[in-house]
Amino acid sequence: MSVFQVPTDALRLLTLLLNGVMTSLQIFFLTLLFALPLGLLTALGRMSSHKWISLPLRLYILIMRGTPLLLQLIFIYFAPFYMLPPGLKFSLHRFTAAIIAFSLNYAAYFAEIYRGGIESIPAGQYEAAAVLGFTRSQTFFKIILPQVVKRILPPISNEVITLVKDTALVQILGISELFRIAKNESSRIFSTTPLFVAGMFYLFLNWIVTKIFEQAEKKLSYYR
Amino acid sequence: MQILKVENLSKSFAGSGEVVVDVSFEINEGEVIAVIGPSGSGKSTLLRCLTLLEKIDYGTIKVAGETMVETTPEGRVVYAPEDRLRKIRLRLGMVFQNFNLFPHFSVLRNITEAPIHVRGLSPAAAREEAEKLLAKIGLADKADAYPYQLSGGQSQRVAIARALAMKPDILFFDEPTSALDPELTGEVLKVIRRLAAERMTMLVVTHEMGFAREVADRVIFMDKGQIVEEGPAERIFGDPENERTKNFLKNFNSNYGTV
Repeated sequence: MSVFQVPTDALRLLTLLLNGVMTSLQIFFLTLLFALPLGLLTALGRMSSHKWISLPLRLYILIMRGTPLLLQLIFIYFAPFYMLPPGLKFSLHRFTAAIIAFSLNYAAYFAEIYRGGIESIPAGQYEAAAVLGFTRSQTFFKIILPQVVKRILPPISNEVITLVKDTALVQILGISELFRIAKNESSRIFSTTPLFVAGMFYLFLNWIVTKIFEQAEKKLSYYR
Repeated sequence: MQILKVENLSKSFAGSGEVVVDVSFEINEGEVIAVIGPSGSGKSTLLRCLTLLEKIDYGTIKVAGETMVETTPEGRVVYAPEDRLRKIRLRLGMVFQNFNLFPHFSVLRNITEAPIHVRGLSPAAAREEAEKLLAKIGLADKADAYPYQLSGGQSQRVAIARALAMKPDILFFDEPTSALDPELTGEVLKVIRRLAAERMTMLVVTHEMGFAREVADRVIFMDKGQIVEEGPAERIFGDPENERTKNFLKNFNSNYGTV
């Protein structure tokens, strides 16, 4: 009856899934690395009073938040080959395409979170800084941004938790991340155990993410 | 020495019309000026124009002889170039109604941050100056506290120390006690009184008539954006000439008791 022979099969499954976890984590960290700063730039541009900066960025945010990430993955992977004129055609590495799509998509969400945070800082903070003679960039980086970070931690943690789970979407490009490996293994041994274990991995990763954000919030709770 | 000279300053906002109308006055070194008048008379807007928080629509502002902004004969308003404006700005200090302390900095750092990063003081020197200022405002024991741990009166005193740490030539106060519970105004007024005794040049927009009468060398009464009457505190409060001034002070006295 037993399809599952402890310990060799369990060990094999864990090794397989851990490989998938590594791929998922790569996507996770690279996306954060690119999307967090890109989101900030997008937010600042989105708030610009120059229409030719803010309008295109509003459109970008609309498209990124308004269409499925799954579709964006496929589009970015195939577009350079199918949509560029002959001679300019090229093929993206599937992993590269995944990172580009994820970074662009998450930057749009982060941008709106940053914007909300920045706009929630009272005008008096800018005015006090201006009267004290701080330059615009000093005001932003010393006075405004630290306060923004504290306010946006909860919504950012939401997005980061979603990102852990969204990494499963890259399987549409044939990348062997945690979910795809688990699914294939499930079919192969005709058991839901691999999927269940994969679920435990996602849960564990997000437990860590939650803990990290709790710590960060605690660290910034020294002021109100 | 003349610290501030304002000529024909006008400022309007879309929707609310002219808020400051053709205002002219000057402040000499060591003078304390109180600006009084009903709510919406343009006092705060005037202050915001003088501290570069609002752009003016017409007029001239000179700080210690240097032109901050002037209006050409054709009516074009020209501000000094950015680098000169930055220098002029350092001569001006401002204390806000709502304190506007930086909540993520300790009291000490609220005071030292600008001296270090704007004036270029060493952290040690800035700290030393800040500690002296804190002792002066009676909050030496609050150096490591955060703004949320302070009362309104303490916050405002810290805000005054923060402005003083930049060694301004003139300090502007925008209704410094209006956001405070009545029992907390005294401690803030005491600090301002002490600065007046030290001949700090100050312009105070206030609703505290007793305080204005006691501390100010000169009083400016504003109504509907205009300076209606200006003169020594004793004369404005004791024997106002203009009907509007008389009415304002009379209403004030009947509402709040004689000043």
